[in-house]
Amino acid sequence: MRSVEYAFRQGGASLWRSRGSSAFAVLAIALALIVLGALLIVTWNAEQLLARWSSAAEFSVYLRDDATSEQRSGIETAIDQSGLSEGREFVSKAEALTRFRREFAELAELTSGFDENPFPASIEVRVRPGADHEAAEGLVKRLIATPGVADARYDRDWLTRVGAGLGTIRAAGVGLALLMGVAAAVTVATVVRLGLRARREELEIMELVGAPLAFIRGPFVAEGFLQGGIGALFAITALWVGFLVAMAWWGGDLNSLLGGSVQFLPIRLCLYLVLGGMLVGSAGGLVAARDAA
Amino acid sequence: MIETHHLSKVYSRGLYALRDLTLAIEKAEFVFLTGPSGAGKSTFLRLLLLQERPSEGEVFVNGQNLATLNRREIQEYRRGIGFIFQDFKLIPSRTVLENISFVPEVLGVPAAQQRRRAFQVLKWVGLQHRMNAYPNDLSGGEQQRIAIARALVNDPVLVIADEPTGNLDPDLSLEIMNLLREINAGGTTVLVATHDRELIRLVGRRTITLDQGKIVEVA
Repeated sequence: MRSVEYAFRQGGASLWRSRGSSAFAVLAIALALIVLGALLIVTWNAEQLLARWSSAAEFSVYLRDDATSEQRSGIETAIDQSGLSEGREFVSKAEALTRFRREFAELAELTSGFDENPFPASIEVRVRPGADHEAAEGLVKRLIATPGVADARYDRDWLTRVGAGLGTIRAAGVGLALLMGVAAAVTVATVVRLGLRARREELEIMELVGAPLAFIRGPFVAEGFLQGGIGALFAITALWVGFLVAMAWWGGDLNSLLGGSVQFLPIRLCLYLVLGGMLVGSAGGLVAARDAA
Repeated sequence: MIETHHLSKVYSRGLYALRDLTLAIEKAEFVFLTGPSGAGKSTFLRLLLLQERPSEGEVFVNGQNLATLNRREIQEYRRGIGFIFQDFKLIPSRTVLENISFVPEVLGVPAAQQRRRAFQVLKWVGLQHRMNAYPNDLSGGEQQRIAIARALVNDPVLVIADEPTGNLDPDLSLEIMNLLREINAGGTTVLVATHDRELIRLVGRRTITLDQGKIVEVA
Protein backbone atom coordinates (compact mmCIF):
# COMPACT_ATOMS: atom_id res chain seq x y z
CA MET A 1 0.00 0.00 0.00
CA ARG A 2 2.87 2.34 0.88
CA SER A 3 4.42 1.65 -2.53
CA VAL A 4 1.14 2.65 -4.26
CA GLU A 5 0.91 5.85 -2.22
CA TYR A 6 4.59 6.58 -2.96
CA ALA A 7 4.10 5.83 -6.67
CA PHE A 8 1.18 8.24 -7.02
CA ARG A 9 2.86 10.98 -4.96
CA GLN A 10 6.05 10.76 -7.04
CA GLY A 11 4.17 10.19 -10.32
CA GLY A 12 1.98 13.24 -9.66
CA ALA A 13 5.02 15.37 -8.78
CA SER A 14 6.80 14.26 -11.95
CA LEU A 15 3.71 14.99 -14.03
CA TRP A 16 3.63 18.52 -12.62
CA ARG A 17 7.38 19.04 -13.13
CA SER A 18 7.20 17.97 -16.78
CA ARG A 19 3.76 19.44 -17.44
CA GLY A 20 4.84 20.86 -20.81
CA SER A 21 5.83 17.52 -22.34
CA SER A 22 3.12 15.67 -20.41
CA ALA A 23 0.56 17.83 -22.21
CA PHE A 24 1.51 16.07 -25.47
CA ALA A 25 0.86 12.66 -23.95
CA VAL A 26 -2.44 13.84 -22.47
CA LEU A 27 -3.42 15.29 -25.86
CA ALA A 28 -2.52 12.07 -27.69
CA ILE A 29 -4.69 10.01 -25.32
CA ALA A 30 -7.50 12.57 -25.51
CA LEU A 31 -7.47 12.46 -29.34
CA ALA A 32 -7.60 8.66 -29.41
CA LEU A 33 -10.51 8.66 -26.97
CA ILE A 34 -12.36 11.45 -28.79
CA VAL A 35 -12.30 9.32 -31.97
CA LEU A 36 -13.46 6.27 -30.06
CA GLY A 37 -16.03 8.27 -28.06
CA ALA A 38 -17.51 9.94 -31.15
CA LEU A 39 -17.91 6.54 -32.81
CA LEU A 40 -19.46 5.19 -29.65
CA ILE A 41 -22.00 8.03 -29.57
CA VAL A 42 -22.99 7.30 -33.19
CA THR A 43 -23.13 3.52 -32.84
CA TRP A 44 -24.76 3.59 -29.39
CA ASN A 45 -27.56 5.88 -30.61
CA ALA A 46 -27.95 3.79 -33.76
CA GLU A 47 -28.23 0.66 -31.62
CA GLN A 48 -30.90 2.29 -29.48
CA LEU A 49 -32.76 3.21 -32.64
CA LEU A 50 -32.45 -0.30 -34.04
CA ALA A 51 -33.70 -1.71 -30.75
CA ARG A 52 -36.75 0.58 -30.94
CA TRP A 53 -37.37 -0.42 -34.53
CA SER A 54 -36.86 -4.07 -33.74
CA SER A 55 -39.40 -3.92 -30.95
CA ALA A 56 -41.85 -2.31 -33.38
CA ALA A 57 -41.27 -4.96 -36.08
CA GLU A 58 -44.16 -6.38 -38.01
CA PHE A 59 -44.78 -8.79 -40.83
CA SER A 60 -47.42 -8.91 -43.56
CA VAL A 61 -49.16 -11.99 -44.91
CA TYR A 62 -50.51 -11.35 -48.44
CA LEU A 63 -53.55 -13.41 -49.37
CA ARG A 64 -54.35 -14.90 -52.72
CA ASP A 65 -57.34 -13.27 -54.44
CA ASP A 66 -59.08 -16.63 -54.37
CA ALA A 67 -58.42 -17.31 -50.69
CA THR A 68 -61.53 -18.51 -48.91
CA SER A 69 -62.75 -17.15 -45.59
CA GLU A 70 -61.92 -20.57 -44.01
CA GLN A 71 -58.35 -20.31 -45.26
CA ARG A 72 -58.08 -16.74 -43.90
CA SER A 73 -59.50 -17.89 -40.59
CA GLY A 74 -56.94 -20.74 -40.46
CA ILE A 75 -54.10 -18.28 -41.11
CA GLU A 76 -55.30 -15.94 -38.36
CA THR A 77 -55.61 -18.85 -35.92
CA ALA A 78 -52.03 -19.94 -36.71
CA ILE A 79 -50.82 -16.38 -36.04
CA ASP A 80 -52.74 -16.09 -32.76
CA GLN A 81 -51.61 -19.48 -31.48
CA SER A 82 -47.94 -18.79 -32.21
CA GLY A 83 -47.71 -16.47 -29.19
CA LEU A 84 -45.56 -14.09 -31.27
CA SER A 85 -48.25 -11.62 -32.17
CA GLU A 86 -49.19 -8.55 -30.18
CA GLY A 87 -52.02 -7.74 -32.57
CA ARG A 88 -53.11 -8.14 -36.16
CA GLU A 89 -55.16 -6.21 -38.67
CA PHE A 90 -56.88 -7.43 -41.82
CA VAL A 91 -56.37 -5.06 -44.78
CA SER A 92 -58.80 -5.72 -47.60
CA LYS A 93 -57.94 -5.23 -51.28
CA ALA A 94 -59.98 -1.99 -51.33
CA GLU A 95 -58.22 -0.66 -48.20
CA ALA A 96 -54.84 -1.52 -49.69
CA LEU A 97 -55.70 0.49 -52.82
CA THR A 98 -56.92 3.43 -50.74
CA ARG A 99 -53.74 3.37 -48.67
CA PHE A 100 -51.58 3.38 -51.78
CA ARG A 101 -53.43 6.33 -53.25
CA ARG A 102 -53.14 8.19 -49.96
CA GLU A 103 -49.48 7.46 -49.25
CA PHE A 104 -48.24 7.78 -52.85
CA ALA A 105 -50.50 10.54 -54.09
CA GLU A 106 -48.20 11.38 -57.01
CA LEU A 107 -48.53 7.79 -58.31
CA ALA A 108 -52.28 7.60 -57.73
CA GLU A 109 -53.04 8.13 -61.42
CA LEU A 110 -51.32 4.84 -62.29
CA THR A 111 -54.01 2.88 -60.47
CA SER A 112 -56.87 4.42 -62.44
CA GLY A 113 -55.84 2.52 -65.57
CA PHE A 114 -56.37 -0.94 -64.04
CA ASP A 115 -59.54 -2.91 -64.79
CA GLU A 116 -59.18 -4.69 -61.49
CA ASN A 117 -57.67 -3.71 -58.16
CA PRO A 118 -54.10 -5.15 -58.32
CA PHE A 119 -53.40 -4.91 -54.59
CA PRO A 120 -53.79 -8.11 -52.53
CA ALA A 121 -55.59 -8.32 -49.24
CA SER A 122 -53.24 -8.86 -46.32
CA ILE A 123 -52.98 -9.50 -42.63
CA GLU A 124 -50.54 -7.13 -40.86
CA VAL A 125 -49.08 -8.62 -37.71
CA ARG A 126 -47.29 -6.63 -34.98
CA VAL A 127 -44.60 -8.80 -33.41
CA ARG A 128 -44.73 -8.90 -29.63
CA PRO A 129 -41.82 -6.83 -28.12
CA GLY A 130 -39.06 -9.15 -26.95
CA ALA A 131 -40.30 -11.97 -29.16
CA ASP A 132 -37.73 -14.35 -30.60
CA HIS A 133 -37.08 -13.06 -34.11
CA GLU A 134 -35.97 -16.47 -35.36
CA ALA A 135 -39.28 -17.93 -34.21
CA ALA A 136 -41.08 -15.11 -36.04
CA GLU A 137 -39.09 -15.89 -39.17
CA GLY A 138 -40.06 -19.57 -38.80
CA LEU A 139 -43.73 -18.62 -38.51
CA VAL A 140 -43.50 -16.49 -41.67
CA LYS A 141 -41.93 -19.40 -43.57
CA ARG A 142 -44.70 -21.74 -42.38
CA LEU A 143 -47.37 -19.21 -43.38
CA ILE A 144 -45.96 -18.90 -46.90
CA ALA A 145 -46.65 -22.61 -47.37
CA THR A 146 -50.21 -22.29 -46.02
CA PRO A 147 -53.09 -22.54 -48.55
CA GLY A 148 -54.54 -19.13 -49.41
CA VAL A 149 -51.26 -17.26 -48.84
CA ALA A 150 -49.62 -15.55 -51.84
CA ASP A 151 -46.57 -14.27 -49.95
CA ALA A 152 -45.38 -13.11 -46.55
CA ARG A 153 -42.73 -10.48 -45.72
CA TYR A 154 -40.96 -9.97 -42.46
CA ASP A 155 -39.28 -6.53 -42.33
CA ARG A 156 -36.42 -7.82 -40.21
CA ASP A 157 -33.98 -8.36 -43.06
CA TRP A 158 -33.09 -4.71 -43.47
CA LEU A 159 -32.71 -4.32 -39.69
CA THR A 160 -30.21 -7.18 -39.78
CA ARG A 161 -28.35 -5.52 -42.65
CA VAL A 162 -28.26 -2.16 -40.84
CA GLY A 163 -27.10 -3.97 -37.69
CA ALA A 164 -24.31 -5.68 -39.63
CA GLY A 165 -23.33 -2.33 -41.18
CA LEU A 166 -23.17 -0.79 -37.72
CA GLY A 167 -21.01 -3.69 -36.55
CA THR A 168 -18.58 -2.98 -39.39
CA ILE A 169 -18.48 0.73 -38.53
CA ARG A 170 -17.92 -0.13 -34.87
CA ALA A 171 -15.12 -2.60 -35.69
CA ALA A 172 -13.43 -0.04 -37.95
CA GLY A 173 -13.77 2.58 -35.23
CA VAL A 174 -12.36 0.29 -32.57
CA GLY A 175 -9.49 -0.59 -34.92
CA LEU A 176 -8.74 3.09 -35.51
CA ALA A 177 -9.02 3.87 -31.81
CA LEU A 178 -6.68 0.94 -31.02
CA LEU A 179 -4.11 2.29 -33.47
CA MET A 180 -4.41 5.74 -31.94
CA GLY A 181 -4.26 4.14 -28.49
CA VAL A 182 -0.95 2.48 -29.37
CA ALA A 183 0.35 5.81 -30.69
CA ALA A 184 -0.81 7.47 -27.45
CA ALA A 185 0.91 4.77 -25.36
CA VAL A 186 4.14 5.34 -27.32
CA THR A 187 3.85 9.10 -26.68
CA VAL A 188 3.29 8.46 -22.96
CA ALA A 189 6.30 6.11 -22.89
CA THR A 190 8.48 8.74 -24.58
CA VAL A 191 7.40 11.50 -22.22
CA VAL A 192 7.79 9.31 -19.13
CA ARG A 193 11.21 8.19 -20.40
CA LEU A 194 12.29 11.86 -20.56
CA GLY A 195 11.40 12.22 -16.89
CA LEU A 196 13.22 8.99 -16.17
CA ARG A 197 16.45 10.33 -17.70
CA ALA A 198 16.17 13.44 -15.53
CA ARG A 199 15.86 11.21 -12.46
CA ARG A 200 18.60 8.75 -13.45
CA GLU A 201 20.71 9.52 -10.36
CA GLU A 202 17.76 9.15 -8.02
CA LEU A 203 16.97 5.78 -9.58
CA GLU A 204 20.57 4.66 -9.22
CA ILE A 205 20.44 5.51 -5.52
CA MET A 206 17.15 3.66 -5.17
CA GLU A 207 18.69 0.57 -6.74
CA LEU A 208 21.77 0.83 -4.54
CA VAL A 209 19.78 1.03 -1.32
CA GLY A 210 17.81 -2.05 -2.37
CA ALA A 211 14.47 -0.39 -3.06
CA PRO A 212 11.82 -2.86 -4.27
CA LEU A 213 10.87 -2.73 -7.97
CA ALA A 214 7.43 -1.40 -7.03
CA PHE A 215 9.08 1.73 -5.63
CA ILE A 216 11.43 2.15 -8.60
CA ARG A 217 8.99 1.49 -11.44
CA GLY A 218 5.73 2.39 -9.71
CA PRO A 219 6.00 6.20 -10.06
CA PHE A 220 6.42 5.90 -13.85
CA VAL A 221 3.40 3.64 -14.20
CA ALA A 222 1.43 6.02 -11.95
CA GLU A 223 2.54 8.98 -14.08
CA GLY A 224 1.24 7.25 -17.24
CA PHE A 225 -1.94 6.27 -15.41
CA LEU A 226 -2.55 9.90 -14.40
CA GLN A 227 -1.79 11.16 -17.92
CA GLY A 228 -4.29 8.62 -19.29
CA GLY A 229 -6.95 9.59 -16.76
CA ILE A 230 -6.54 13.31 -17.43
CA GLY A 231 -6.56 12.68 -21.19
CA ALA A 232 -9.79 10.66 -20.86
CA LEU A 233 -11.47 13.39 -18.81
CA PHE A 234 -10.45 15.97 -21.44
CA ALA A 235 -11.83 13.69 -24.16
CA ILE A 236 -15.19 13.25 -22.40
CA THR A 237 -15.45 16.99 -21.77
CA ALA A 238 -14.65 17.73 -25.44
CA LEU A 239 -17.18 15.11 -26.58
CA TRP A 240 -19.83 16.56 -24.26
CA VAL A 241 -19.24 20.11 -25.52
CA GLY A 242 -19.22 18.86 -29.14
CA PHE A 243 -22.44 16.94 -28.50
CA LEU A 244 -24.17 19.99 -27.01
CA VAL A 245 -23.08 22.16 -29.97
CA ALA A 246 -24.21 19.52 -32.49
CA MET A 247 -27.55 19.14 -30.75
CA ALA A 248 -28.05 22.91 -30.62
CA TRP A 249 -27.55 23.08 -34.40
CA TRP A 250 -29.05 19.86 -35.69
CA GLY A 251 -30.78 18.34 -32.66
CA GLY A 252 -34.34 19.02 -33.87
CA ASP A 253 -33.74 17.58 -37.34
CA LEU A 254 -31.93 14.53 -35.99
CA ASN A 255 -34.58 13.78 -33.39
CA SER A 256 -37.43 13.98 -35.91
CA LEU A 257 -35.45 11.96 -38.48
CA LEU A 258 -34.66 9.18 -36.05
CA GLY A 259 -37.97 9.25 -34.24
CA GLY A 260 -36.42 9.64 -30.79
CA SER A 261 -34.01 11.86 -28.90
CA VAL A 262 -30.29 11.52 -29.63
CA GLN A 263 -28.41 10.99 -26.38
CA PHE A 264 -24.88 11.36 -25.03
CA LEU A 265 -22.97 8.28 -23.90
CA PRO A 266 -24.32 6.65 -20.74
CA ILE A 267 -22.20 6.92 -17.56
CA ARG A 268 -21.11 3.28 -17.93
CA LEU A 269 -19.48 3.93 -21.33
CA CYS A 270 -17.91 7.18 -20.05
CA LEU A 271 -16.35 5.18 -17.21
CA TYR A 272 -15.05 2.63 -19.71
CA LEU A 273 -13.46 5.47 -21.69
CA VAL A 274 -11.73 6.79 -18.55
CA LEU A 275 -10.57 3.28 -17.66
CA GLY A 276 -9.33 2.81 -21.24
CA GLY A 277 -7.34 6.04 -21.03
CA MET A 278 -5.83 4.98 -17.73
CA LEU A 279 -4.93 1.57 -19.16
CA VAL A 280 -3.28 3.11 -22.23
CA GLY A 281 -1.36 5.56 -20.02
CA SER A 282 -0.30 2.83 -17.59
CA ALA A 283 0.88 0.65 -20.48
CA GLY A 284 3.03 3.52 -21.78
CA GLY A 285 4.36 4.19 -18.27
CA LEU A 286 5.14 0.50 -17.76
CA VAL A 287 7.09 0.31 -21.04
CA ALA A 288 9.16 3.32 -19.95
CA ALA A 289 9.56 2.02 -16.39
CA ARG A 290 11.30 -1.11 -17.67
CA ASP A 291 14.26 1.14 -18.43
CA ALA A 292 14.36 2.29 -14.80
CA ALA A 293 15.62 -0.97 -13.30
CA MET B 1 33.00 -10.05 6.33
CA ILE B 2 34.33 -9.80 2.77
CA GLU B 3 36.20 -12.59 1.03
CA THR B 4 37.24 -12.86 -2.59
CA HIS B 5 38.73 -15.91 -4.28
CA HIS B 6 40.66 -15.49 -7.54
CA LEU B 7 38.41 -12.61 -8.47
CA SER B 8 38.85 -11.17 -11.97
CA LYS B 9 36.96 -8.67 -14.04
CA VAL B 10 37.67 -8.49 -17.74
CA TYR B 11 36.28 -5.75 -19.95
CA SER B 12 36.11 -5.88 -23.71
CA ARG B 13 39.27 -6.52 -25.75
CA GLY B 14 40.67 -8.64 -22.91
CA LEU B 15 41.43 -5.69 -20.64
CA TYR B 16 41.69 -6.84 -17.01
CA ALA B 17 40.31 -4.34 -14.46
CA LEU B 18 40.94 -6.89 -11.69
CA ARG B 19 43.12 -9.99 -11.96
CA ASP B 20 43.10 -12.99 -9.61
CA LEU B 21 42.26 -11.00 -6.49
CA THR B 22 42.14 -13.00 -3.26
CA LEU B 23 41.63 -11.07 -0.06
CA ALA B 24 39.73 -11.06 3.23
CA ILE B 25 38.35 -8.18 5.28
CA GLU B 26 37.20 -8.95 8.81
CA LYS B 27 33.97 -7.86 10.41
CA ALA B 28 34.21 -4.38 12.04
CA GLU B 29 37.52 -3.74 10.25
CA PHE B 30 38.44 -0.37 8.67
CA VAL B 31 40.34 -0.96 5.45
CA PHE B 32 41.75 1.37 2.83
CA LEU B 33 41.90 0.30 -0.78
CA THR B 34 44.44 2.39 -2.64
CA GLY B 35 46.41 2.56 -5.84
CA PRO B 36 46.77 4.80 -8.88
CA SER B 37 43.90 5.68 -11.20
CA GLY B 38 42.85 2.58 -13.18
CA ALA B 39 44.20 0.21 -10.51
CA GLY B 40 40.77 -1.41 -10.14
CA LYS B 41 39.57 0.17 -6.85
CA SER B 42 36.21 1.37 -8.18
CA THR B 43 35.67 -1.87 -10.11
CA PHE B 44 36.15 -3.82 -6.88
CA LEU B 45 33.58 -1.63 -5.11
CA ARG B 46 31.14 -1.98 -8.02
CA LEU B 47 31.45 -5.76 -7.74
CA LEU B 48 30.71 -5.53 -4.03
CA LEU B 49 27.62 -3.40 -4.75
CA LEU B 50 26.58 -5.89 -7.45
CA GLN B 51 26.55 -3.14 -10.05
CA GLU B 52 28.73 -5.50 -12.05
CA ARG B 53 29.36 -9.23 -12.09
CA PRO B 54 32.79 -10.86 -11.86
CA SER B 55 34.25 -12.48 -14.98
CA GLU B 56 35.99 -15.12 -12.87
CA GLY B 57 36.24 -16.03 -9.19
CA GLU B 58 33.88 -15.46 -6.29
CA VAL B 59 32.93 -12.77 -3.80
CA PHE B 60 31.50 -13.64 -0.39
CA VAL B 61 29.97 -10.99 1.89
CA ASN B 62 28.76 -12.13 5.30
CA GLY B 63 29.10 -15.70 4.03
CA GLN B 64 26.83 -15.09 1.01
CA ASN B 65 28.18 -15.88 -2.45
CA LEU B 66 27.11 -12.80 -4.40
CA ALA B 67 27.00 -14.74 -7.68
CA THR B 68 24.09 -16.84 -6.43
CA LEU B 69 21.79 -13.98 -5.41
CA ASN B 70 18.55 -13.43 -7.33
CA ARG B 71 16.96 -10.02 -7.85
CA ARG B 72 15.06 -10.03 -4.55
CA GLU B 73 18.11 -11.26 -2.62
CA ILE B 74 20.23 -8.53 -4.22
CA GLN B 75 17.74 -5.93 -2.93
CA GLU B 76 17.90 -7.50 0.52
CA TYR B 77 21.72 -7.62 0.42
CA ARG B 78 22.03 -3.97 -0.62
CA ARG B 79 19.83 -2.87 2.29
CA GLY B 80 22.68 -3.88 4.58
CA ILE B 81 25.24 -1.71 2.79
CA GLY B 82 25.83 2.03 3.03
CA PHE B 83 27.59 3.72 0.12
CA ILE B 84 29.38 7.04 -0.22
CA PHE B 85 30.64 8.47 -3.52
CA GLN B 86 33.06 11.21 -4.47
CA ASP B 87 30.28 13.16 -6.22
CA PHE B 88 27.91 12.72 -3.24
CA LYS B 89 24.95 11.60 -5.43
CA LEU B 90 22.41 13.70 -3.56
CA ILE B 91 19.05 14.49 -5.15
CA PRO B 92 19.04 18.23 -5.85
CA SER B 93 15.24 18.57 -5.83
CA ARG B 94 14.95 17.22 -2.28
CA THR B 95 15.86 18.88 0.99
CA VAL B 96 18.65 17.56 3.18
CA LEU B 97 16.21 15.73 5.44
CA GLU B 98 14.31 14.32 2.44
CA ASN B 99 17.58 13.10 0.88
CA ILE B 100 18.17 11.03 4.00
CA SER B 101 14.60 9.94 4.76
CA PHE B 102 14.27 8.91 1.11
CA VAL B 103 16.19 5.69 1.88
CA PRO B 104 13.85 4.35 4.59
CA GLU B 105 10.93 5.71 2.56
CA VAL B 106 11.68 3.52 -0.47
CA LEU B 107 12.24 0.59 1.86
CA GLY B 108 8.68 0.99 3.12
CA VAL B 109 9.44 2.33 6.63
CA PRO B 110 6.49 4.29 8.13
CA ALA B 111 6.71 8.08 7.64
CA ALA B 112 7.16 9.10 11.29
CA GLN B 113 9.94 6.55 11.76
CA GLN B 114 11.66 7.70 8.52
CA ARG B 115 11.87 11.29 9.70
CA ARG B 116 12.93 10.38 13.25
CA ARG B 117 15.75 8.15 12.02
CA ALA B 118 16.81 10.69 9.37
CA PHE B 119 16.96 13.44 11.98
CA GLN B 120 19.04 11.23 14.30
CA VAL B 121 21.76 10.62 11.72
CA LEU B 122 21.62 14.23 10.56
CA LYS B 123 22.24 15.29 14.15
CA TRP B 124 25.07 12.78 14.35
CA VAL B 125 26.87 14.41 11.39
CA GLY B 126 26.14 17.82 12.93
CA LEU B 127 23.92 19.25 10.22
CA GLN B 128 20.49 19.21 11.85
CA HIS B 129 20.31 23.01 11.43
CA ARG B 130 20.48 22.55 7.62
CA MET B 131 17.70 19.98 7.40
CA ASN B 132 15.48 22.16 5.19
CA ALA B 133 18.29 23.33 2.89
CA TYR B 134 18.79 21.92 -0.60
CA PRO B 135 22.06 20.14 -1.53
CA ASN B 136 23.14 22.89 -3.92
CA ASP B 137 23.03 25.39 -1.02
CA LEU B 138 25.62 23.37 0.93
CA SER B 139 29.42 23.26 0.78
CA GLY B 140 31.22 20.15 -0.51
CA GLY B 141 32.07 19.04 3.03
CA GLU B 142 28.47 19.47 4.14
CA GLN B 143 27.18 17.56 1.11
CA GLN B 144 29.52 14.66 1.90
CA ARG B 145 28.36 14.62 5.52
CA ILE B 146 24.78 14.38 4.22
CA ALA B 147 25.86 11.49 1.99
CA ILE B 148 27.40 9.81 5.05
CA ALA B 149 24.19 10.37 7.02
CA ARG B 150 22.24 8.79 4.18
CA ALA B 151 24.62 5.81 4.16
CA LEU B 152 24.02 5.31 7.88
CA VAL B 153 20.29 5.82 8.08
CA ASN B 154 19.60 2.16 7.41
CA ASP B 155 22.07 0.86 10.06
CA PRO B 156 24.34 -0.91 7.55
CA VAL B 157 26.77 -3.67 8.49
CA LEU B 158 29.15 -2.49 5.76
CA VAL B 159 29.95 1.02 4.53
CA ILE B 160 31.64 1.37 1.15
CA ALA B 161 33.18 4.72 0.24
CA ASP B 162 34.59 5.47 -3.20
CA GLU B 163 37.00 8.44 -3.03
CA PRO B 164 34.82 10.13 -0.39
CA THR B 165 37.28 12.98 0.03
CA GLY B 166 38.17 13.41 -3.64
CA ASN B 167 36.38 16.75 -3.89
CA LEU B 168 37.35 18.09 -0.46
CA ASP B 169 40.28 20.04 0.98
CA PRO B 170 42.64 18.30 3.50
CA ASP B 171 40.88 19.62 6.64
CA LEU B 172 37.44 18.56 5.44
CA SER B 173 38.89 15.24 4.28
CA LEU B 174 40.16 14.51 7.78
CA GLU B 175 36.81 15.53 9.22
CA ILE B 176 35.06 13.02 6.92
CA MET B 177 37.60 10.33 7.86
CA ASN B 178 36.92 10.97 11.53
CA LEU B 179 33.22 10.39 10.92
CA LEU B 180 34.02 7.13 9.14
CA ARG B 181 36.26 6.10 12.07
CA GLU B 182 33.39 6.77 14.46
CA ILE B 183 31.09 4.63 12.32
CA ASN B 184 33.66 1.88 12.42
CA ALA B 185 34.02 2.22 16.19
CA GLY B 186 30.34 1.29 16.42
CA GLY B 187 31.11 -2.12 14.83
CA THR B 188 30.40 -1.34 11.18
CA THR B 189 32.89 -2.62 8.61
CA VAL B 190 34.26 0.30 6.55
CA LEU B 191 35.99 -0.02 3.20
CA VAL B 192 37.38 3.19 1.73
CA ALA B 193 38.86 3.50 -1.75
CA THR B 194 41.21 6.48 -2.01
CA HIS B 195 44.45 7.47 -3.67
CA ASP B 196 45.19 10.04 -0.94
CA ARG B 197 48.34 8.57 0.64
CA GLU B 198 48.61 11.38 3.20
CA LEU B 199 45.08 10.70 4.47
CA ILE B 200 45.84 6.99 4.78
CA ARG B 201 48.97 7.82 6.77
CA LEU B 202 47.01 10.11 9.11
CA VAL B 203 44.22 7.60 9.75
CA GLY B 204 46.61 4.68 9.95
CA ARG B 205 44.56 1.56 9.13
CA ARG B 206 45.16 -1.62 7.11
CA THR B 207 45.73 -0.70 3.50
CA ILE B 208 45.44 -2.88 0.41
CA THR B 209 47.27 -1.44 -2.56
CA LEU B 210 46.19 -2.37 -6.08
CA ASP B 211 48.00 -1.78 -9.32
CA GLN B 212 46.78 -2.88 -12.73
CA GLY B 213 44.09 -4.99 -11.06
CA LYS B 214 46.45 -6.93 -8.78
CA ILE B 215 47.25 -6.67 -5.09
CA VAL B 216 50.76 -5.30 -4.85
CA GLU B 217 50.93 -4.56 -1.13
CA VAL B 218 49.01 -5.13 2.11
CA ALA B 219 50.21 -2.94 4.96
